[in-house]
Parts: sequence; C-alpha cells; structure tokens
Amino acid sequence: MPETAPSWAFARTTAFRVTLLHLLLTLTGTALVGGVAWWVTAGFAVRQAADEIERGMGVLLQSGALSGARGVALSIEARLAADRSGQEFYLLAAPDGQRLAGNLSGVSSERGWREGTIRQPDGAGAPVLMYAQPLPGGGALVVGRDLTAARALEQRLLTSAGWVGGAVLLLGLGGGLLIGRSIARRAAAMEAALAAVQGGDLDRRLAVRTGGDEFDRLAARINATLDRLQALMAALREVTDDIAHDLRTPLTRLRQRLEDAARAPTTAAIEAAQAEADRLLEIFAALLRIAQVESGTQRAGFATVDVSAIAESVAEVYAPAAEERGQTLVTDIAPGVTVTGDPALLTQMLANLVENAIRHGRENGHVRLCVVADGITVTDDGPGIPEDERGKVFGRFHRLDAARSTPGSGLGLALVRAVADLHGIEIALEDATPGLRARLRWSR
Amino acid sequence: MRILLVEDDADTSAYVARGLEEAGHLVDRAADGQDGLFLATGGGHDVMVVDRMLPKLDGLSMVRAVRAAGIATPVIFLTARTGVGDRVDGLEAGGDDYLAKPFAFAELLARINALARRPPLQQEVTVLRVGDLEMDLIRRSVIRAGKRIELQPREFRLLEYLMRREGQVVTRTMLLEGVWDFHFDPKTSVVETHVSRLRGKVDKGFGQELLHTVRGAGYVIRSDA
Repeated sequence: MPETAPSWAFARTTAFRVTLLHLLLTLTGTALVGGVAWWVTAGFAVRQAADEIERGMGVLLQSGALSGARGVALSIEARLAADRSGQEFYLLAAPDGQRLAGNLSGVSSERGWREGTIRQPDGAGAPVLMYAQPLPGGGALVVGRDLTAARALEQRLLTSAGWVGGAVLLLGLGGGLLIGRSIARRAAAMEAALAAVQGGDLDRRLAVRTGGDEFDRLAARINATLDRLQALMAALREVTDDIAHDLRTPLTRLRQRLEDAARAPTTAAIEAAQAEADRLLEIFAALLRIAQVESGTQRAGFATVDVSAIAESVAEVYAPAAEERGQTLVTDIAPGVTVTGDPALLTQMLANLVENAIRHGRENGHVRLCVVADGITVTDDGPGIPEDERGKVFGRFHRLDAARSTPGSGLGLALVRAVADLHGIEIALEDATPGLRARLRWSR
Repeated sequence: MRILLVEDDADTSAYVARGLEEAGHLVDRAADGQDGLFLATGGGHDVMVVDRMLPKLDGLSMVRAVRAAGIATPVIFLTARTGVGDRVDGLEAGGDDYLAKPFAFAELLARINALARRPPLQQEVTVLRVGDLEMDLIRRSVIRAGKRIELQPREFRLLEYLMRREGQVVTRTMLLEGVWDFHFDPKTSVVETHVSRLRGKVDKGFGQELLHTVRGAGYVIRSDA
C-alpha cells in the first residue's frame, strides 16, 4: 500500500463527494438569496421608472386631447423646467418627424418600450427607458426616464454577488477539503491498521479517541471483533498444540502395541492395540464434541429442559457405580426446575460432574447432588483441588499430577465448561472442606 | 436377510459387506446416492445402511426420496459427524437408527438385527416371556419360576428392553440410548454395573442363566432350553 495516495484518488472518496454536494447546495441557496435581493432593489427602480413614464404619458395625452399639440408642448416645457435633476426626457414630434417640443431627438416613434443611450449636455451617455406613442393626428409622443441610478445599483449588486459567490465557493471548497481530508485520514489510518492485521500483526489495534464519535465507535467495535478473533485463534492454536502433545502419547503406545503384535501376533496383543485405537477415537470424539459445543450452533435448537428430571435420571444411572466404590450418592433435588437448553448436553454435563465426583471422591464416602431453583451443586469428600489449580482444570487435557495414573482423558471438565458457557451457566469450583464442590448457577 | 449398503468409501464398504456376508446376509452395494436410490426402489431389502455424505445425492435426500416412494424398509444412517443435531436430522429424514463413525462392526450388526426384527405391525404385547422369566407390562411385575422379583423402575426398563429383543445382541450404546436416553459414552462402566445388578436379581439363585454377556459386543437375553 503506498503511503500517500495519488491526488486524483481523493476525488473518488466519499468525503470529496459529500463536499461537492454540500458546495452545490450552498451555491444554490446563495443564488436564491441574490435573486430575491435583485428583484426587490434593482428591479424595483426600473419598475418605478416605468410607472412614472406611464403616468406622464397619460397626463400628456390628456392635455393633448384638451388643447391639442400646443397644449402638449407647453406641458412638456413646463415639466422640463421643473425637472432640476435632468431625469426626465420628452419628445413631441410632428407628422414629418420634426421636433415640436422636448429634449430628445433622433429616437424611433414606433409604439412601444425601448431603452437607449442619450447623450447628455456634459457629453456622457445615460441609459434611458422610453415609451413611444403615435398621436391620433399624426406625429408621436415619447416619454423617457433616466436609468443611471438603477443601472449603477445593478452593477453594484452584480459585483457584490461575484464576491459573495467567490467567497462561498472558496469557503465551501476549503472547508470541505479540510473536513474531507480529516475523514479520509482517519479512514486511511483504520485501513492501514486493518491491513497490518491482515498481514499477520494480530496485536495491532485501531486508535480510539476519547471523543466517542461514530469513527471511534466503529474503531472500538472493530477492536472488539479483533480481540474475539485473536482469542479464537489463540484457542485454536491451543487446541492444536494440545492435540499434538496429548495424542502423541497414545499414538506412541498404539505403535508399540502394533509392534508387539507384529512380533507375536497373539489375540491379546491385537486386542490391546485395538483398545488403544478405541481410546484415541474416543479422545477425538470428545474433542470434536467440545469444539462443536463451543461453536454455539446448538443454541438454535434450545428448548425448556426439566433439570430436576435429568438430575434424577443421572443419579439413578450412577448410584450403582458409586456403591461399587462404597460411596453413597445422596440427592436433594427440588422438583420442576427448568432451564432453556439442550437436554442431551445438559445430561452429559451433569453426568461428567457426577462421574468426576465418584472417581475422585473418598472411598466409602459421600457424593452429594443438589438441585435448587437457580443452580446445581455436586460435592465429593475426596482430596479436592488446590486453589491455584481450580481455574486450570477446565482446560483441555488438563489433569492434576495426582490423577495422571488413573484413566481419563482430561476432557470431561473441558466439556462441562463448554456446555455451561453455551447455556450461560456460571461454573465455579469450591472447597467443600474436605472435598470439592462444583457449583453451577444460572440466572432466573 | 438382504441388506442394501450405500457407502462411498470403498474400504469401509468392503469391510462392512464382508462382515455382513460372514454373518449370513446378502449384501447389495452402491457407491453413491443415485445408485442407492435406484437399488432401494427395486425393493426387496430388509434393512438399508446409508452413509450420510454421499456423492451425487446425499444420504438424507436419498432416504427422503425412498420414503416418498412409499418404501418403509428400516434405515440406519452412518456418519462421520457426531453432532447432537445431526442425529435428529437423520431421524427426521426417515432414518430409524443412527451410528457414528468409527464404529465397531459388532455394534452395526446388533443394530441391523434389532431393526430387522422389529415387526412391521407390532401387536400390543402385554406379557414378555424368556424361558421361565415372565414380565407383565400392565401390572409392571416380573416373575421367574413362580417367584416374584422386585425391580426398580429403571431396572424394569432395562429388562424390558432386553426381553423385547430376545436372542439378539444388544450393545452397550444401544442400552445407553434406549434405556437411559444417554447420547454419549460415560467413562464409568454404568451399563456393566446395572446389568450385573439386574443379573443378580434375575439369574442369581435360579438354575439357568438367561442374561449373557457377549464378549466384545454386548448382552443378550435368551433361554438355552
């Protein structure tokens, strides 16, 4: 991945597109405001001039109707004399085009509105709005008004609009660029971190600022996902290591048995090899089951399970096994206790715990199985487990040194833990002085 | 018996077929689901042994098609998958039993025998008899040679399971599933303990032994007389 992206790449980012859209909207808004301002100022001045022209024309035509061309000429002279500012323009033309009165010359007498530039006495040209009206007896009347002020206003408005537009464009582009760059930079940082993770650096995490905006929330979520992935990977590696380590021993034994059988193929030697293979298959089955339970797919088939009935059944199954070791299996099972879960797995979980208690309990001692509304305890009176070992016994293949010589795969409690986790059941090992108490607890 | 074996792994197929033939059965073999379906619809089999993962047509679909064609021959699924849900899927598709690979051949044979002897239209039996042992299913009582034997409810179920399969080998896992509804293998020898207690009540003090252990396979109840 290149450190700096080519400059055109920015044009394809979301930030750039958002900036552009925002700018377009801002410009449209500004243009709208400018249009309204134009209409109420410059537009108003021109409309006012037109009104005055129409009024003047009306008055002159009236005086023409009363006293003929002579009256109109007199009125024009009077008006021009009164107009100090030189804003008004008139022309009374004879049928042959000759000027009879007024200060205009050389304009068309065809009916209608027009605009022209009239040379002032001082030599400057002035924009003038005019209206021409042919007269009934021939000839024409033209009335005009100076538009210099209106045009100057328009000019100023246009100039201001240019400045405002430019400023908006600049601010919008600049601001958008800044915001966009900041967004793009954070996105690029996230991308770089994720690329590093993809590349194998599983410890790499995204930076999370204290602000807690959407980027930080996203980054925190991605970090949590990475944590989970890393934990899963670690668990997987642990399993692989466990398998490699703990299956080597039985495999070696199997090989030795097969060598024995090859040397002296007796039924006993072959059966011994068979038993060793069965043990290996058993371990595999247990490992697969744990993995399957840990994957959590069984949750889909959860139903309400009568734990009391399961406990009764397990107690009944194991009572004779306990008696063989001279133990008494004592039960105290509250009726009708239920949880949501998988009956087969819950049965196996409980069976494993009871089995452990029988196996590790004192000979001629007691094993207690209690079921209450929010949990189960299985208690034995054996040597117990030292406190610092209690967390470890739930790991795969973990066996206490004292138990190494007894049969067992070290997977029983790992399965118990996996099933408990699947059901959201808390599991703890406690000192039963003497002995061990396994306590399962669920929230009601 | 004529048995249809649908299994794509040539070694497993040959091994199972040889075992079944040695046990006196006739075996038809198919290596994929399509051939299996073809042979199955030909009819005339007493039991079908079907692997779940098959080329062309998987085992579940094949058995569904067989059932849809109205063929009620008992089916045992073989599978390398041991999930709890997988077993239910298999039974729902029309399978009658389910056996996880790897399995002991004795286990498969015992289950095939158990399925094949299941009468299609079972008349409601109220009394089971093996030799001089008599079980009354309605009064829940067991009498041997005129003497009443007191059994715990679970012992009663265990004996009933065995007596219903008189003369057939019943394996440890069949008992765990059928009597205790345990779908896993306990480390402790719970089955052995229960059987030996039952034997103590049913056989001890009577002349002839009815409850026999079959080495490497399981248990069988039969009267030699």
